[in-house]
Amino acid sequence: MIDLAPWLCWIMPTIGSIVHYLLPKRIGRKRYIVTISFTFIAFIMAITMLPLLPIHGYKEIGGIWLSLPDGNYVEFAILIDNLSIILTNLVAFLSLLILIYSYKYMEGEPGEDRYWFFMSLFVGGMLILILANNLIFFFIGWKIVGLCSFALISHYYSDERKYWIGGPEPYPFQKPSRCGLKALFVTTLGDVALLASIIIIYLYSGTFSFMKLYENVNIWMSEIAKTPGLLTITILLFLCGPFSKSAQFPFHEWLPEAMSGPTPVSALIHAATMVKAGVYLVARVLPIFYFGTWILGIKEAYNFFLIVAIIGGFTAFLAATQAMVAIELKKVLAYSTMSVIGYMMLGLGIAGISSETLIEGFTSSIFHLINHGIFKAALFLCAGVLIHASGSIYITDMKLSPKTMKFTWIFMWISSLALIGIPPLSGFWSKEGILSSCYISGQYWIFILSVLTVAVTSFYVIRLMGITFHSPNENNSNKHHEHGEASKIMLIPYGILAILTVIIGIVGPWIKDLLHEFFAKEFYDIHLLEFHTLSIAHESIIPTILSIIMIVIGGFPAYYVYIANKLSSISIIERYGILKAFHKFLWNRWYIDSAFNKIFAYPILASREPVAKYIEAGMDYGLNIGIPKLFEFINNNIRKLQTGILSINMIYIMIFAVFLMFIFIIFGVM
Amino acid sequence: MMIPYPLLQVILVPIIVAFLSIFLGNLGKRLGWIAFATLTYTSLIMIKIGIDLWNGIGPYYEEYYWSTALFNIKFGFLADGLSLPVALIMNMICAACALYSIHYMEHRIEQLYGEERKGMYVVYFSIYLLFAVGLVGVALSTNLAQMYVFTELTLIPSYIMIDLFGYVDRHRIAMMYFIWNHIGAAMFLIGITLAYIGTGSFEVFALRNLIGNNFAIWVCFFILVGWLVKMAVFGFHVWLPWAHGEHPTSIAAIIATIVGLGNYVIVRLLYGELFSVFKIFSIPLLIIAIITMIYGGFLSIAQDDMKRLYACSTISQTAYSILGIATLTVMGVVGGIFYFLSHILGKCVLFSVAGIVLCQTGIRDMRKLGGLARKMPLTATLCILGSMVLSAFPPLSGFQGEWIMFVGVFKEAGSFMGLIVALVAIFATFLTVIYTFWPVIRVFFGPLPSELENVKEAPLTMTLPLFMLMFISFILGIYPESLVALITPVIKAMTP
Repeated sequence: MIDLAPWLCWIMPTIGSIVHYLLPKRIGRKRYIVTISFTFIAFIMAITMLPLLPIHGYKEIGGIWLSLPDGNYVEFAILIDNLSIILTNLVAFLSLLILIYSYKYMEGEPGEDRYWFFMSLFVGGMLILILANNLIFFFIGWKIVGLCSFALISHYYSDERKYWIGGPEPYPFQKPSRCGLKALFVTTLGDVALLASIIIIYLYSGTFSFMKLYENVNIWMSEIAKTPGLLTITILLFLCGPFSKSAQFPFHEWLPEAMSGPTPVSALIHAATMVKAGVYLVARVLPIFYFGTWILGIKEAYNFFLIVAIIGGFTAFLAATQAMVAIELKKVLAYSTMSVIGYMMLGLGIAGISSETLIEGFTSSIFHLINHGIFKAALFLCAGVLIHASGSIYITDMKLSPKTMKFTWIFMWISSLALIGIPPLSGFWSKEGILSSCYISGQYWIFILSVLTVAVTSFYVIRLMGITFHSPNENNSNKHHEHGEASKIMLIPYGILAILTVIIGIVGPWIKDLLHEFFAKEFYDIHLLEFHTLSIAHESIIPTILSIIMIVIGGFPAYYVYIANKLSSISIIERYGILKAFHKFLWNRWYIDSAFNKIFAYPILASREPVAKYIEAGMDYGLNIGIPKLFEFINNNIRKLQTGILSINMIYIMIFAVFLMFIFIIFGVM
Repeated sequence: MMIPYPLLQVILVPIIVAFLSIFLGNLGKRLGWIAFATLTYTSLIMIKIGIDLWNGIGPYYEEYYWSTALFNIKFGFLADGLSLPVALIMNMICAACALYSIHYMEHRIEQLYGEERKGMYVVYFSIYLLFAVGLVGVALSTNLAQMYVFTELTLIPSYIMIDLFGYVDRHRIAMMYFIWNHIGAAMFLIGITLAYIGTGSFEVFALRNLIGNNFAIWVCFFILVGWLVKMAVFGFHVWLPWAHGEHPTSIAAIIATIVGLGNYVIVRLLYGELFSVFKIFSIPLLIIAIITMIYGGFLSIAQDDMKRLYACSTISQTAYSILGIATLTVMGVVGGIFYFLSHILGKCVLFSVAGIVLCQTGIRDMRKLGGLARKMPLTATLCILGSMVLSAFPPLSGFQGEWIMFVGVFKEAGSFMGLIVALVAIFATFLTVIYTFWPVIRVFFGPLPSELENVKEAPLTMTLPLFMLMFISFILGIYPESLVALITPVIKAMTP
């Protein structure tokens, strides 16, 4: 049973994706309940794996899939260890709730069959990549996830006006089909790089299996390191994959536009699948590079952690600042996802940046991943309700009142506060863990950046909630659409998630210790850690105090302006030129998007005309018309020789005779 | 169960049916079903042989005397792990396209010749069968002269087809296609003749006796260049966008396989028999493959015409396989052949999708199309599936072919410069995603233009065979061993 569970876990949602096509159409929307039930089975299967925790070392179940021409083989196998079990449970659980929610949400939306196909496949793909024991199998799940995100982001492919995002006037809008394409292109670019690095690693190690890579790391990594720079290139290429999937700088620009699909899709992308895949991959290979850096002493392997930490810390800050000015509800949440994923990356980077922070950084990062999954899913599901209720995607137009949707209001506040990291909600513990490991590691500049981000986070979250629910209803313009509490099928899923956020918050330290113990044991079992290093704990109170101060520093102005409504944000910005410029800078996403368009997208588009018109048409003319013309020219000139005048013909005969004579003379003599 | 003369049947049965169908002109478009049945039959025979090969029986070899008078030429058919999958997949594509042609050719013949010309169906379908014979024949031949004859058999029917049923300016383009391909074929013929002078035999296996001979390099050169012209590498590619763009789409799908067939011939003749000579051409071939990949990619991006777009993408995609073969590693060659087979499956579907769109809307300019997914969901699905094959999305076969091939490419790289080259090559695959998925958006997504409101989904005879092809691609994708296990031993035996 236990061997079968992980297999069923990914197979079920994958099969579930087509099951509603096979059922007769006349039973209507009940078909989708069957689809959901397949994910439910996956969830049950995931739960049956929980008692295995903590696993000593790891377990692989499966067989040979493909024997390669060079004698190696690719396995078709499942890897079970603490990380994969924890993530499987998280993904299956969140996906199930999101699917249940969308049963109600998607009622009457166009293209429902397609929606359920891709949602279920999405979950299946994510579970494949979590459970896969080798990089090829992993990569298949990885690509499926990318493809499903493309299809779901551009779900409203007809690009009707009401599905456009961006704006408001006079700012440009984006159409769903374009947003999907952008996500596909950006993530595929990362995939290509990732594939290249997988191949390089394979050529030196002869295996794709994660665990074999780990066991042989002393052989292959030292071999790569012999060529200076090669390991760094490999690491860079490798990280392009996770960074593009997880929307980290410089591959982050697809995520803010990825919300053009139905809201449950955003919830799935942000909370359970897709963006978490990148974090998972980094966490999955982290022991390999840690071993390389700290046990084998390969200097270049250290770059892995350095890059992850810097990019993570920077993206956390970058995205958080952009969230301060965004006025689309889902866009604020999208920025916050990027920011929080940045924290996770930072935690993972810190885990290897100093030899002592491995467990602390790794554990807090995974813990943050779990917490973020739960509260971000709740936030997005709430957002779906709010957008439906208010009929607008802009928080400034929503003007909702907490009284009419009390539960949604409470749940959303809980999740938001968890996002800020208010004690004792779940986000607090994990964020604290990341900050303090950052502090312990001695990377003070990253620490300062991430503490600043806390203030920014606090500001934008309170602003979001304030504008949405507590803005002054001076003109009561909102009366024309009645909105009440969401339907139970939608309310219960995010209710559960919000309550879980509180529960995890209350028992937070205990869960963290538990995770700490799991991973410490596992790393000990695979000889990554010597036992004595486990007990290191320079608990420091400084990060905690600093972060609480920062929450207040960021939160108070937001409270003052947006909830208490003592000041108008617009008038403040108008008053100070520097604030206005800053606002514009943030609103335009630091101009990164337009820069990338100018560097990559436009040149490719601009190449179309010269390629078609000059290069290709030129070659075409030269070969297909020029050569025939040349023959024609020769032909015409030869024809001129045949004048028909006897005396000229006689000359030809004479010339020919002379020519023959020469030949006879030359060859005859020889 | 023993099938008598299985390989001879694969070649002869379609020829016989092609001649018989002359007398069945009354059947009109239903001849398509006969063609389909014939090709299904030959496919089944080959599947049977394939199963035998999988179980370790074989390779199948049949030999017949052709002429004893002057030259003493034998002709033979060899079905080993390399030739059989190539022949089988090409044959299945032909079968699928036969079914697809029924509706498509009805539309095309009506357009060109009016409803009365039932005879045109006879012309089309009998020639069509010869086409399939040519393709399978090249793959199975053991004899260079015979291979040449079969090569011509793929060329002449396609010339007739484009001349009779093609689009815009079809007579000129047919002639252009014929001349370009004949230049290729003539080079091939020179190579063959030189080989005969050197060895006194037309047998493929006799080619290896040339090694050490002075003009082995010339044999290699002529055969290679001849097929590179047919494979439309950069410089020789200018005929392809015209020919593939203006062919009737049911044929365009198949001539994409002719273009790719060069990969097989190069592996079979040059890599297999003249390895030590072919080695010299490795670096130039690598360079030209990368140039072609990138140029073909940009050229495809530049197209607004749907048929021409997929035509241009063939240039780029075929070069991938050349790249794999040029690495001279087992992985590269196996991946190259795998990729070639996967590409023709995908390309067949994409061309056919362009044909469906053209057939149902009468438009091939992508600037005028849009939002068709709502009207033609099955076609849109096919287009996405085909794009997935080309841009190597699992679980379809493109991915498996691509990564195996690139392992070979990176292995060959060795030095730092080589690594850069390999990286350039792998990043060129990114262009594929642009030129396959962007058209999906342009044609099938977005708002529907008002003049396309009445467009209908294509009949199932058009879409269903294409889904079957995608199913094959899916099987190869999730169980790549089925192909790799057949090809690998042959390639391994070839590689010194």
